Amino acid sequence: MIQLIFFLSIGGLLFASLFFLARRKPRPEGSSGALIEARQALMALQAGLLPAELVKRIFAPDDWEFVRAEAPAAVRELFIDERKRVALLWVSQVRTQIHNLRRFHRGAARSYARLNPRSEMELAFSFAGLILACRMLQLVIYLGGPYAAPG
Amino acid sequence: MWRWPIEYAGIAVQLLLLLRSAWAHLLTRYYFFYTYVASGILGSAILMTMLLRTPVLYAKGYWAVQFVTLVAGYGILLEIMNHVLAPYPGAERFARAAGVVAFCAIFLFALLAPFIKSQWAPVVVIEFERDLRSVQSLFICGLLGVIFYYGIPIGKNMKGMILGYGLYIVTSLMTLAVRAYAGPSFSAVWKVVQPLSFDVSLVIWLVALWSYCPNPEPDPNIALEQDYEALASRTRGVIDIIRTYLRKAARA
Repeated sequence: MIQLIFFLSIGGLLFASLFFLARRKPRPEGSSGALIEARQALMALQAGLLPAELVKRIFAPDDWEFVRAEAPAAVRELFIDERKRVALLWVSQVRTQIHNLRRFHRGAARSYARLNPRSEMELAFSFAGLILACRMLQLVIYLGGPYAAPG
Repeated sequence: MWRWPIEYAGIAVQLLLLLRSAWAHLLTRYYFFYTYVASGILGSAILMTMLLRTPVLYAKGYWAVQFVTLVAGYGILLEIMNHVLAPYPGAERFARAAGVVAFCAIFLFALLAPFIKSQWAPVVVIEFERDLRSVQSLFICGLLGVIFYYGIPIGKNMKGMILGYGLYIVTSLMTLAVRAYAGPSFSAVWKVVQPLSFDVSLVIWLVALWSYCPNPEPDPNIALEQDYEALASRTRGVIDIIRTYLRKAARA
């Protein structure tokens, strides 16, 4: 029975791969046009969308401490809601940047004859780890608010 | 009852496929693939002759032909690698590594299997073919994994070749696995499903290889880093920056 399950699993894996191949878009993400777009998006993101001050400002507790001390409950609630929305938007943008970087790297790396499979695996795990971290951060912010992320 | 019409239909479509390839000048472009198709026609002709003249030898001949076409099937994988990955040396290198891992995985399983469960039946022809089909399956999975991961564009010819062959391999692997497990009681189903899936693959190939549709070539004008290590270290650098941002956010 174990043997049967093993071989059926291999068959299932191949069937799923073929299904994705059949459903693949005519212009896949790694085509030269998409690669250029990914590079441009990456450069734009690196240049302006993630300044260090912005990150500090979004998650700085000073604002919250001030609002908590001075403002009524309705304003405090509004502040937390809006800050939460901004924080979630920021994490989502970071995730987009990671996807763009990954797309750009894969599009470029495929052409190198001296590609190192070990480095590629290492980078693939790094990308997966970052995307997972973003998802976790989004979940924590969504459930606990902008100041709930673990230190 | 259904088996022979399915087999005859298969031979007819294989002949049509070869004729069309000659008409559309595809024979020289995909010679490994058409060698496989030709070996299938030749094998079927030999088996038909055996069945009519010496039916006793048919069973032995069936497996011999099956193995020859199975080995010729590796030519299709070579064809796919040559056409899809050749313009991308990096991805080709990764696919080769994935192929080696797939082969090692299945042979390691074959070596360990008797120790996992000692009462397994001795290796018979069906089990051997099933094992070889699973190697091909893992190899195609690895190849598709590389194609998806690196976003390599595929033309209509190659897409059809992979889909047709992959579908046939999946069906063969699954029916062989069930046949090996369930025994001769499954033979009646197996004898119809296997040639039927081959006919479906032939129709996919006929449609996909009706005319020449080259694989999209990579754009040579894209400026890249000078070498792979420079690219990898640049990527690592940006990853580190993003990681720092996320840590800052988490600590804020």
